[in-house]
Amino acid sequence: MGAFDIVLMIVILAGAAWLLYRSLWKKKGHCPGCDGGGCGDK
Amino acid sequence: MTEQTPHTANDAVSSAAPRPLVVAVAGNPNVGKSTLINAIAGTRLQVGNWPGVTVEKKEALFEHNGRKIRLVDLPGTYSLSPYTQEEIIARDYLVKLRPDLIVNVVDATNLERNLYLTVQLMELGIPVVMALNIYDEAEAKGYRFNLHGIETMLGVGVVPTSATRRSGLTELLDKVLETAAQPADHAPRILNYGDDVETAVALLGDTLRREHPALFALYPERWLLLRLMEGDERLRQEINLAQDALPEEIFHHLRRGHGEDLEALMADARYSQAAGLAREVLFKKEERRVEMTERIDRVVLNRFLGIPIFLAAMWLVFKLTFDLSKPFGDWINDMAGGPFKHWTTVLLGLVGAPDWTVSLATEGVISGVGFVLVFVPVIFMMMFFITFLEGSGYMARAAFVMDRAMHAMGLHGKSFIPLLLGFGCNVPGIYATRTLENPRDKVLTALLIPLMSCGARLPVYVLFVGAFFPNNPGTVIWSLYVLGIALAIVMGVFFKRTLFRGEAPMFIMELPPYRMPSFTSLCLHTWEKGKHFLIKAGTYILAVSIFVWFLLNLPWGVEHKKDSYLGQAGQVMAPVLSPLGFGTWQAASSLITGVIAKEIVVGTMGEIYAPKKGEQKKPEASFGEDLQEIAVSFGKAVKESASNVVSTFGVSSLAADEKEDRGPLKATIQQTFTPLSAYAFMVFVLLYMPCVVVAIAMRQEFGSWKWFGVAFAYQSALAWGMAMIVYQGGQLLGWGV
Ligand SMILES: Nc1nc2c(ncn2[C@@H]2O[C@H](COP(=O)(O)OP(=O)(O)OP(=O)(O)O)[C@@H](O)[C@H]2O)c(=O)[nH]1
Ligand SMILES: [Mg+2]
Repeated sequence: MGAFDIVLMIVILAGAAWLLYRSLWKKKGHCPGCDGGGCGDK
Repeated sequence: MTEQTPHTANDAVSSAAPRPLVVAVAGNPNVGKSTLINAIAGTRLQVGNWPGVTVEKKEALFEHNGRKIRLVDLPGTYSLSPYTQEEIIARDYLVKLRPDLIVNVVDATNLERNLYLTVQLMELGIPVVMALNIYDEAEAKGYRFNLHGIETMLGVGVVPTSATRRSGLTELLDKVLETAAQPADHAPRILNYGDDVETAVALLGDTLRREHPALFALYPERWLLLRLMEGDERLRQEINLAQDALPEEIFHHLRRGHGEDLEALMADARYSQAAGLAREVLFKKEERRVEMTERIDRVVLNRFLGIPIFLAAMWLVFKLTFDLSKPFGDWINDMAGGPFKHWTTVLLGLVGAPDWTVSLATEGVISGVGFVLVFVPVIFMMMFFITFLEGSGYMARAAFVMDRAMHAMGLHGKSFIPLLLGFGCNVPGIYATRTLENPRDKVLTALLIPLMSCGARLPVYVLFVGAFFPNNPGTVIWSLYVLGIALAIVMGVFFKRTLFRGEAPMFIMELPPYRMPSFTSLCLHTWEKGKHFLIKAGTYILAVSIFVWFLLNLPWGVEHKKDSYLGQAGQVMAPVLSPLGFGTWQAASSLITGVIAKEIVVGTMGEIYAPKKGEQKKPEASFGEDLQEIAVSFGKAVKESASNVVSTFGVSSLAADEKEDRGPLKATIQQTFTPLSAYAFMVFVLLYMPCVVVAIAMRQEFGSWKWFGVAFAYQSALAWGMAMIVYQGGQLLGWGV
């Protein structure tokens, strides 16, 4: 377990966290029927 | 939706690049507005054969003859009075943002009723082009129209169209451009609503011009006057006009001659225009035969047969879904677990990636995401049938049949639409509650939606049903859906007695005629619904599967997954689940991660039970051999799927039962569950808390976490209680072997 592994791990986890945040919060879970932003704005 | 800037007709001139022509598409519900826009602009707006599919305005931009046109799809409405949410959306758009032109889509088989809205659209003074849609059906019924008559009497262009057959579209667009080029020459005619009305309108106009001249810049003149005259409350509030600001003597004469209710008077005036016009221009052959729709409905809507038929239709859908898609799921499973995993390992080895990344890729991502992908064929198949039922018109019947049950819950049939949408995915269902008028209905409906079994729960059912109920998979899945509906009714009645007292207003759902949806449009809309599950798998399910892998492998170097962080969390939760028959840490951990999305229950299991590296004992094949194997086994899957359909319809199964056990996962879950506890587990997954995205949706719609809190609380209790009843009850009956 070297420094390289730690950095790689952090990058992967950060990437996953960003993906999660973006798709759940920003894109409302990509649910069907939400095209055109209908589900988002109010 | 992109921008919200008002595009009034007179801000165009100066800018260099010509601004797109803004065309509002308005009409009654279920006349094919969205279908028409899809056909013209190549968009994929949602369509369905029932009134009320489109609930918000949506836009589509395209070009015709070098002119940019922005089409705005409005929710269908019968009038422009401000009573329903749809009416308010449509009317606010038309009045305040003033499109350059209105395409009024009219159902040619129902001309008179549709003209009632046309008459109101004409009051806006915006040029109107009428698309006489569903012309094919009207012709088949033997209707004939005097198109020229409509044009001269109304002063609007008329083009017969058939959106589903894509005929008349170019003519329609040509007419639109022609009209837009000379808007002044194409103002709709001003219809005469009778001398008394017209006198009052003129008087009112004089008064307003004197006292509130600014109003005429904001609203179309005739529309403003007519609406004020009939006492439009919403308009009055908007312009801050006190009830008594208008001189009463204007209306005096009217009231004396026609009674107090001016709104009813105006409705009459518009109806008689519509009726008169329809009489003039429509010729029907007077021979009336019982139509197919009516004949089917006599059976389908029968008081006693209605619900059994609905349940039977659902059962057939599940059976077909399962039988058709299973071979493809198995195929994906074999491919992901075999060649795909193998070659990923090889590849990572080649680039010299650290050992743990290989494990992350294979035991984490491929086992997690791959295992969710296994169920994509099922989801697509299911969406296909749902789309078919929507397009054919049967969904509207289902709403009708369930209407009585809905009333018992204090909801009306209209609430059934968000609930129906919930079967695809709960989230759009929650947003669709926007169409309901009063807040009580909205919240109550939203609370019940999570009980509708969404597509994301299917993978869990399919996995367990495949392992424990291989003989009647469709029936078992069907029972879960029915349980969801039944509990929604029970909870609805409960809420009505406690949190939400009150009666639902009457609502009459219009039943559209049956239609055969075209295969291409079926496929298109199936893809629209299903692709989101693919996107989900590629985004947050991927992200979660990475987290899960770390949680299963931390603290670093942990020997057994049981002792990992996730395993420990599972162990803490497990005792709570013991009375339900699945008090294992594996089940508990999957349920914890499944809170994000219910497919993840399956994904996590895939990771937990993934064989450790080296445990796979497949003989190494070359890349070419693997490719060949992939193709050959796909062919087998197609064949198997086809023969399954045959066996669905009576002929006993040919290919079944000689199946070898697939993958280690099935075998392992067979060790930790019994059929009874597996069923209890499925019931729990069906009911336990809505997923995170639903939570976000609820917060957005209702402005606080409160209602999500309520949903969370009652669903957790319900899930635990029902699963316990199933498990303990089953054991008492001696099923717990
Ligand atoms: N036969 C025939 N059917 C059509 C035609 N246009 C639309 N339909 C069908 O009519 C039904 C309703 O279409 P939609 O496009 O959803 O109607 P809408 O006007 O957008 O309805 P709402 O959004 O509910 O107001 C669908 O089943 C279409 O397939 C047509 O020209 N001919
Ligand atoms: Mg629509």
